[in-house]
Amino acid sequence: MTTPILEIRNLHARIEDREILKGVNLVIPAGEVHAIMGRNGSGKSTLSYVLAGKEDYEITEGEILLNGESILEMEPNERAAAGIFLAFQYPIEIPGVATMTFLKAAMNAQRKARGEAEMTTPEFMRLVKDAGSQLQVDTEMLKRPLNVGFSGGEKKRAEIMQMALLKPALCVLDETDSGLDIDALQVVSKGVNALRANDRSMLVITHYQRLLNHIVPDVVHVFSDGRIVESGDKDLALQLEAKGYADFDGAAA
Amino acid sequence: MSIAFPVRLGAAENALIDQLKSLGADATAERITVAGLPTRRVEAYHYTDLKLLLKAIPPLAQAANAAGVSALDIAGAQRLAIVNGVIQAAPAAVAGVIIGKAEGTALSTRDDVLVHLNGALVEESLTLTLEGPIDHVIQVDRRIEGDAAHAADSLKVFVADGASATIIETFSGSDAAHVGNHATYVTLGKDARLTHVTVDLSARAVSHFATNEYQVGENAQLRTLVVHAGAGLARTHLFPRYAGAGAHGDITGLNLVSDGQHSDITMMAEHAVPQTSSQPLFKSIARGRGKSIVQGKLVVARDAQKTDAKFMHQGLMLSDEAEILSKPELEIYADDVVCGHGSTCGKLDEDSLFYLMSRGIPQAEAETMLVRGFLEELVDPIEDEALAEALHGVIDGWLLGK
Repeated sequence: MTTPILEIRNLHARIEDREILKGVNLVIPAGEVHAIMGRNGSGKSTLSYVLAGKEDYEITEGEILLNGESILEMEPNERAAAGIFLAFQYPIEIPGVATMTFLKAAMNAQRKARGEAEMTTPEFMRLVKDAGSQLQVDTEMLKRPLNVGFSGGEKKRAEIMQMALLKPALCVLDETDSGLDIDALQVVSKGVNALRANDRSMLVITHYQRLLNHIVPDVVHVFSDGRIVESGDKDLALQLEAKGYADFDGAAA
Repeated sequence: MSIAFPVRLGAAENALIDQLKSLGADATAERITVAGLPTRRVEAYHYTDLKLLLKAIPPLAQAANAAGVSALDIAGAQRLAIVNGVIQAAPAAVAGVIIGKAEGTALSTRDDVLVHLNGALVEESLTLTLEGPIDHVIQVDRRIEGDAAHAADSLKVFVADGASATIIETFSGSDAAHVGNHATYVTLGKDARLTHVTVDLSARAVSHFATNEYQVGENAQLRTLVVHAGAGLARTHLFPRYAGAGAHGDITGLNLVSDGQHSDITMMAEHAVPQTSSQPLFKSIARGRGKSIVQGKLVVARDAQKTDAKFMHQGLMLSDEAEILSKPELEIYADDVVCGHGSTCGKLDEDSLFYLMSRGIPQAEAETMLVRGFLEELVDPIEDEALAEALHGVIDGWLLGK
């Protein structure tokens, strides 16, 4: 059996005294796209932050394995270099740092961490131009400070463009559909689908089934009160959309 | 009935009095004899108690070997130098620039001890008359070389009607415990435009004092940037006066302070006539036990209706022991104006740091990026590319140093 890209075992996490993740178990084999659906406050976003290594959360029990290796002791930048990418629900605005400067710093930092040589400027420019054209991110936008004054759609397109450039093993998309109109949703989904690959897995976190019409998952999980309570194929998302989350609260132990 | 207790004078004050008397500046000597150096009880010096901070005054500067390099190398700049208070022979002036000398300090009289001292010590000022658009950056390289010295110098700039220029002044020298007292007086004529940058890169043992006075004429546009990145004790006074309708000032400044440093930018702006505007923006970054002070006062005269002015100071603390002090003041006599002030102070934003790190950027590099980003608002408006690059070099040098 091949090693899954992501394996989460009995993960418990808390912020201050409040336990938010209460025993998450999840295996995502290479090449698969899994969706996590759940109501507000169920702990979905916490799971994404815990995967990326935000320090506000304390892991009290359990294990997270990326390609079979534990990542719990790694800093966020080390996790990124190991292949985790979190597309933020609310990408952070960084005044004074040009998007282009940031992209180059990120790409070279990851290369350096993996022992690869830095890119030349022409090589970098070509990659950025290619990725930008697919996601309708133009040069003018890349000269602006990172995410500052970007519209909701621009921010999400910029996130997916970063994902395309950094080529992670595991893409975690946290509510990527929030703040997007139909057209923007199609551009972003197309960008995400273009990144589906046999050696890459995705975890798509969302409230709504709508996104899953565009990014069709292999497996859908229902998240409630800090754990996965139900798993199924893409039809589970449709059931949820029809019936709401009430049926699944406390359905499984 | 009041009983006047004589002020107890310290070593620094006695040295100053002797120096002033040797120069025949009896009135200034008398003032210091009576009042001493200002302490924290003097409002303008509340956070920079000179009596406490200035422990010694080195001997008056003697002409020194002027060989040496300026602290910043700016490609294509017209360079002028003042070393130990002595104006150096200038190379041929670029078109539109007239270089000369004038007797005494260029500053106007003002009730301030540092201004008085500059007036007493300076024999002649370097003068620059700028007659039209000047393509070359003008660099005034002020240095104090050799053994520890008390040196004063002065620059007077006249930017003619419709003229435009960029001036960078740098302060540096040997690493002895100098006391420098520098003056710049600038007049901007109608429709004139000037970018004036002053950067202190003196050694840590130096006490650096500077006073910059500006008269901004009708529709003239002034941008200033003062950077404190060297001396252990630094104070720069900024006295812009908006004297013609449509005059505008972007008065900016930056204190970069490390452990044991004390940097103070004190601005007093006067909006003297109707329809003038200013955007004073100051930033402080402090680490170790560094201390940064920014005082900013906007005075709006009774006639100066439609004044639009906003003072802002943003502080960034890189350690728990650092101190950033902010004192905005408004003194408004007109009744139809838009004036305001704001101050913020905090640490690097953790969410921003996490975002950058989540993309693979190591913590130290991410922090540097955020600090550079915080300061970009000050450097970005500097149009001359070579100068902007040199300023980025100063900031990076501080970030990578101790």
